[in-house]
Amino acid sequence: MKEYLSLADIQHDLRAGNTTCEELVGYYLSRIDAHRHLNAFVEVYAEEARARALEVDARLREGTAGKLAGLVVGLKDVLCHAGHGVQAGSHMLDNYRSPFTATAVQRILDEDAIVIGRQNCDEFAMGSSNESSYFGPVRNAADSTRVPGGSSGGSAAAVQANLCHAALGSDTGGSVRQPAAFCGTVGLKPSYGRVSRWGLIAYASSFDCIGPITRSVEDAALLLEIMAGPDEHDSTVSTREVPAYSRELHWEQPARVGYLREAVESEAVEPAIRERTLAVLNQLREQGHTVEPIEMPLLRYFLPTYYILTTAEASSNLSRFDGVRYGYRSPEASNLEGLYKKSRTEGFGDEVRRRILLGTFVLSANYYDAYYTKAQRVRNLVRKESEGLFDHHDFLISPVTPTTAFRLGEKMDDPLQMYLADIFTVQANVVGAPAISIPNGTDEAGLPIGVQVMARPFAEQDLLAFSNYLTELIGAGESVK
Amino acid sequence: MTTSTLSAQTIGKELLDRYETVIGLEVHCQLLTESKLFAADVNRFGTEPNTNVSPLTLALPGTLPKLNKKALEYAVRMGLACGSTISRHTIFDRKNYFYPDLPKGYQISQDKAPICVGGGIAVATKGNEGTSTERLIRFHHIHLEEDAGKSVHDGSDTETLLDYNRAGTPLIEMVSEPDLRSAEETGTYVTEIRRLVRYLDICDGNMEEGSLRCDVNVSVRPVGTLAYGTKVEVKNMNSIRNIMRAVEYEWRRQVALLENGGTITQETRMFDAETGQTYGMRVKETMNDYRYFPDPDLCPVVLSDAWLDEIKSRMPALPHELREKFTTSYGIPAYDAVVLTETKEVAIYFEEVCAHTQHYKSASNWLMGTIKSYLNETGHDIGTLPVTPPVLAQLIELVEDGTLSISTATQKAFPALLAEPGRSPRELAEANNWLQNRNTSELETLVEEVLSAMPDKVAAFQKGKKGLMGLFVGEVMKKSGGTADPQLVNQLLQKKL
Repeated sequence: MKEYLSLADIQHDLRAGNTTCEELVGYYLSRIDAHRHLNAFVEVYAEEARARALEVDARLREGTAGKLAGLVVGLKDVLCHAGHGVQAGSHMLDNYRSPFTATAVQRILDEDAIVIGRQNCDEFAMGSSNESSYFGPVRNAADSTRVPGGSSGGSAAAVQANLCHAALGSDTGGSVRQPAAFCGTVGLKPSYGRVSRWGLIAYASSFDCIGPITRSVEDAALLLEIMAGPDEHDSTVSTREVPAYSRELHWEQPARVGYLREAVESEAVEPAIRERTLAVLNQLREQGHTVEPIEMPLLRYFLPTYYILTTAEASSNLSRFDGVRYGYRSPEASNLEGLYKKSRTEGFGDEVRRRILLGTFVLSANYYDAYYTKAQRVRNLVRKESEGLFDHHDFLISPVTPTTAFRLGEKMDDPLQMYLADIFTVQANVVGAPAISIPNGTDEAGLPIGVQVMARPFAEQDLLAFSNYLTELIGAGESVK
Repeated sequence: MTTSTLSAQTIGKELLDRYETVIGLEVHCQLLTESKLFAADVNRFGTEPNTNVSPLTLALPGTLPKLNKKALEYAVRMGLACGSTISRHTIFDRKNYFYPDLPKGYQISQDKAPICVGGGIAVATKGNEGTSTERLIRFHHIHLEEDAGKSVHDGSDTETLLDYNRAGTPLIEMVSEPDLRSAEETGTYVTEIRRLVRYLDICDGNMEEGSLRCDVNVSVRPVGTLAYGTKVEVKNMNSIRNIMRAVEYEWRRQVALLENGGTITQETRMFDAETGQTYGMRVKETMNDYRYFPDPDLCPVVLSDAWLDEIKSRMPALPHELREKFTTSYGIPAYDAVVLTETKEVAIYFEEVCAHTQHYKSASNWLMGTIKSYLNETGHDIGTLPVTPPVLAQLIELVEDGTLSISTATQKAFPALLAEPGRSPRELAEANNWLQNRNTSELETLVEEVLSAMPDKVAAFQKGKKGLMGLFVGEVMKKSGGTADPQLVNQLLQKKL
């Protein structure tokens, strides 16, 4: 079967009678089977997906199929799906099945997407390498000794290896974009509040966003268009109108592009990534766009701000996992305090415990002002600084990551090194802006490189159109070489 | 030399009077909203355990809270009624702690920007010579929060059952300044709050069921000093009387402790209604750090002018407003006004009666007398009284124009109307021949008969034994079969004698 780059191609072949959903599902199931070593899926819904494929095929014949007919999708293991297990890559949620479906998932199901399984991820979406999962690490399909990034590592690797056509992940500090970059796929983090968080297992509520991982900007636009918009279950979701992103993917006017000089020139960024990023900037200049270096004096505060606030929220969000009502309960506990301590110590892995402790610390009475209050203030300053940048620039371009995919185990003993993997991605979450990772070639070892484009909050339409244009530009550059 | 140790029981009035109690209250009221504070589950007391528990109430992963605007409106109503400043920008915070009845591991409450700030409740305090003064007991603030579930330890030492029906139901908490000075004042304060929430229709005020709960902070200090003593928090009182008993007991206990040379420990104590005493909880008192921070799942709430005006326009009349109206517009005594406004239902009934008759004082007498006794005896409340306000007004009119005697009205007509609510008072009186006989010539005949039968009494009367008048009236009434108008009889007798 041919490898499809966009859903439009799939739907073209479905309409032409060249394939069926049944055939597509069979194809992906066989690929999943052949790529078990990647450990991308926690659970595969083979029979259910086959049955649903038959239903969608019937609707295609009747002409009543939804906009996502033919889309075979995977869900990161943090998205609730009624009647299905969901456990955020954690021992803590062993045997837990959600009685309800996330709004974003429901909306794609309503358009006839076929869910093929749930995908491995870092435990409670905390990690940048997919090594903190209770289900073991996921491997990068480009080099199985390397990580796929995280936390949506299973989703990115699955799309990379064509085990499904697209996936839904979640991005709190780069968890969609960073693995997308490591795996050579497209990863979109929408504006905060663009997509309902109802049914997304929370990591840090004021940062979390559901976002698609796809093989094209076009598909990311279509998925966003379907998932976005008001939801009575989530009071932080925006009521702004949702444009038809997928129909407006043409960028023609000159763009004002800013790039972070430090990010492009820093020694901490691998040479191949610097070169590829500079190449993109040069191509844009050649095409007549304004490309200017910008300063972000607050850059060095991005990570501390991000880690203080996300761990604070996480420490509270994860309090509900207490062994009382559902999920893991330690068999050793003999009293209430023991029940909490043992269940939470045994149920959570190291990284999750580390972040809960950090968050509890920064919210504690004696340190609250020094950490939490200060970080909130810095967050506001970063917002203002970013707003200022968007007064003069339509887009900010940077590498997605300072390195390409690293080796399994390479950073597991050094959390600070691991946290640096998020240096370019956290800004979008701190300010609530949309950002996308698109493939930007590979390094000499053939490892994928990503370029990040960020726009002002709720400017997804421009962001997607420009990214689509940029993808073509990069592709043209590649073929010239 | 030996000194006996003082105790709460033995301490004398003289020592007690050297100290003043300083009391502050946290009153929780369960709001009568249809659904919970952040979930669509039904908010109802007494349903089967764990039946009103949606995924959100159980804090299942992936759920998010959504504010019930009605609960916010109710909190605003209370604030408006108490003269509080309504915050136009209010924030919900998370109060983090672990307990099995708290599903999320945090309670959504308000810390830094509560919905209402300041205000208070006027409490009448009795002075030394029976005088009464009103004092404002100030509120620090009123905030909204969700309630926890219930832990049930029925007959088992090893098992705890959990009922989450109550989890997430809305509460307002009124936190007072330490302005109260006695058990009696504290009782009056809680009574006023209960009356007010009932008037406002925001809480049923039922303390036995826990719809209205109270934590009391008590400290003592030597009379004349300003510095507060160390306070003790007392919980577990399920009636106003027990709140007063707890305050009284703490006053005695703390004074006795100080007089014995001891110091007060800051702690939480439980009140035991059986013994009337308070007990330390005897658990390791760890300082709880609740790690309050703004709930990132909820946006700050901005109250618009339009919405606030709408709430204001829907505010019912308050007890003090009705008292004012009853004394000035209806001219009834202040005492009557207080009694008639004790409950909203009686006040409304009274107002309706007054819409149908202008004999306001008579209406007040009926409500404070006959009707009150009937309700007390039967345990009914006025809302289900078969005699409606217009019917009572007709009855009052019949008495006032002399058609019925007051005794016939209260002893015969009223019970008959209770039994046959559909009938009109006049129709009933006519059918039963209860109308007063006001026929002068008929009555004159009876008067003459009575007087001529008792010549010696007449002579005694004329010599000055004026008290015999009652006897003459009584005899005439008897002869008329109880139908004579006593006033008319009296007049005729005066004339004849």
